[in-house]
Amino acid sequence: MTAPDVDVVVVGGGPAGACAAMVAARAGLDVVLLERGPFPGSKNMYGGVVYPRILDTLIPEWWLEAPVQRWVTRRSTMLLTETQAVTIDFRTEAWGAPPYNGATAYRPDWDHWLAGHAQAAGAQLITDTTVIGLIRDEHGAVVGVRTDRPDGDLRARVVIACDGVNSFLAKEAGLYEHTDAKHYTLGVKETLALPKETIDERFAVRDRHGVDIEIIGATGSVNGGGFLYTNLDTIAVGVVLKLPKLAAQAQRPEAIIAKMKQHPAIAPLVQGGELKEYSAHLIPEAGLTMMPKMVMDGMLVAGDAAALCLAAGIWLEGVNFAMASGMYAGEAAAEAVRGGDVTANGLQGYQRRLSDTFVLKDHRKLHRAPELVLSDRVQHLYPGMVANVVERMFRVDNPEPKPGLRRIVTQERQRAGVRRRDLLRDGWTGFRSFG
Amino acid sequence: MSIVVCLKWVSHPGEPHDSRFSGMSHADQSALEFALQQAESTGATVTAITVGPPGAEKVLRDALACGAHHAVRIEGPTTTSGTDVATAIADHITDARWVWCGDYSLDRGAGSVPAFIAAHLNAQQALGIIHASIEGDAVHATRRLDGGRRELLEVTAPAVVSVEGATARLRRATLAAVRAAASATIPVVSATTPMHRAEFMVRPYRPRARVLPAPEGATALERLRVLTDAAAASAARGDTVRLEPADAAARIVRALREWGYLAH
Ligand SMILES: Cc1cc2nc3c(=O)[nH]c(=O)nc-3n(C[C@H](O)[C@H](O)[C@H](O)COP(=O)(O)OP(=O)(O)OC[C@H]3O[C@@H](n4cnc5c(N)ncnc54)[C@H](O)[C@@H]3O)c2cc1C
Repeated sequence: MTAPDVDVVVVGGGPAGACAAMVAARAGLDVVLLERGPFPGSKNMYGGVVYPRILDTLIPEWWLEAPVQRWVTRRSTMLLTETQAVTIDFRTEAWGAPPYNGATAYRPDWDHWLAGHAQAAGAQLITDTTVIGLIRDEHGAVVGVRTDRPDGDLRARVVIACDGVNSFLAKEAGLYEHTDAKHYTLGVKETLALPKETIDERFAVRDRHGVDIEIIGATGSVNGGGFLYTNLDTIAVGVVLKLPKLAAQAQRPEAIIAKMKQHPAIAPLVQGGELKEYSAHLIPEAGLTMMPKMVMDGMLVAGDAAALCLAAGIWLEGVNFAMASGMYAGEAAAEAVRGGDVTANGLQGYQRRLSDTFVLKDHRKLHRAPELVLSDRVQHLYPGMVANVVERMFRVDNPEPKPGLRRIVTQERQRAGVRRRDLLRDGWTGFRSFG
Repeated sequence: MSIVVCLKWVSHPGEPHDSRFSGMSHADQSALEFALQQAESTGATVTAITVGPPGAEKVLRDALACGAHHAVRIEGPTTTSGTDVATAIADHITDARWVWCGDYSLDRGAGSVPAFIAAHLNAQQALGIIHASIEGDAVHATRRLDGGRRELLEVTAPAVVSVEGATARLRRATLAAVRAAASATIPVVSATTPMHRAEFMVRPYRPRARVLPAPEGATALERLRVLTDAAAASAARGDTVRLEPADAAARIVRALREWGYLAH
């Protein structure tokens, strides 16, 4: 058997890979981090809000140095119909001061910064290098990776696959039982430039404070959700679309964004923004339903590669799950290498850490949420029903007396064609998932 | 015999010295590829050299990873003038037989460094090459001339060759070489002469004002015509002469001076 070149090879310089490499290198292992782009983050996109609490242990007071655009102090959820909007708007000053909560950040900044910490810990970052396959021994254990460089094999005791959604490595290793388009959504996003003062005024924030708006009902016949985030002098506006629904109709994703941007509640916010970038990326949306096996002889899978993204419809947290799972993979790899057992058994510490922490606990808790939020009723019936109820509550129909709320709700439910039974059931599912 | 390739660490104009957006230009990559090919066919060694701050070592490591045998960084800011860069490099590579350069740098782009190096080394120069092939001890090179014409050159050592970015595709480094280059020690030397900042022209070019005799003519319209050359056949300053190169250069300078483009 050929001797390993290094202890750990981490594939993919996204948040999962950077944290895996950082932790394994800090544990004293010889680590190589491979990234196909010219630098970590160069090929990566997302909506735009990261929740870095998990970094408290890895990079104390990370907020002093992290490349943050704005601290999210205002979070809104919007239900839209063609002509109406119901918005629940929350703001708190607490999220605008240490230790903070969420922040908007650009991925080419964020991933580059995180990978810098991995390098500082001693991991060797090699960019412009794509992993094209696994090297297995005669028993099927992973013993390294094959890259697209000449003489590009790199042997390692442990490979940590952090190669993102559609992980070719996890698939090649047979860790996904089956993949199905209905488990994925397509995210598309426009980044629009506006002067900082204009953003501050339009979104009613100051200094480094920013806004996160999640939108339901803006994606027409395609089930999905919309988002609008503020960076310092750009805004990110995009939609997340269920793949089978998208494929079944004729509209292109960019047309769906364009339509959302014309909505009377959105148009004034985005008006005049200069298009800087259009980007698209898949999201593993189905959580537990689609998760692969994450541990095998010689290999661990973390982040989106393991479908650990928590995409409960309007709830889009992937970067924090990637950072955490990467960190746990790094710890487990170090444990296994030190213990001299890099079989699936020796690497079980990873599975245990995932199960004991928010990574899998949140997924279990929100198990039903994506399906609920992306269901036809929530997508196509409830926004109109809710908006009509609110409209009638606030409408003054003098000389008619005000109707009671219960009557309005019943009438609007019937008008929307929603059965009482379904409404109760959805309410219960929602309560159980989010409650 | 030794081959030198001159590499400049350039950054994205809007992102000075952000490591994410800096590196070797395509022209420099082509130069490196030719240097490596020439080394392979002649058995010579390649030295990659740059003038720049520590960050510039990135391009030298890339060169080492691709197969350059040695690398040297001459300490100096990226703002060093082209003449000083050329002097610093030439002083360091006095025994070089072949010097390969990109035709001009992406950030400043005057393309003067290769010419100055050639002058210092008293070497032949073949600059702005659009096609090159290594033929034994010589290099066959094609240069772009105006009017769609081409100049075909057979260049022999000692020579400085600068190439366009489209002339060659840099080979991909092996994984082991990339890993080794990342930790290679790169010798740093200081320049033998002082380094000055490049001076940039910050205003549009305007020829010097010159005194003209008052126009002749009885009416305002006639005087205007004389002033503007409007109706006159272009008898003015066209002049076709056949001269030896040295005399031709002197004649051009004289004409420019007479016409007021050069100080007397
Ligand atoms: C439209 C959209 C909006 C989103 N919004 C949010 C949000 O607001 N907040 C949030 O927290 N999450 C969000 N997410 C999810 C988040 O982007 C992901 O969960 C997160 O990026 C996963 O990190 P990762 O490190 O696992 O994978 P990635 O970030 O995808 O990184 C994978 C890395 O591996 C590299 N790579 C892949 N294959 C190879 C290979 N073969 N060889 C070498 N390198 C390779 C890639 O270049 C990349 O750098 C969003 C996603 C999308 C698509």
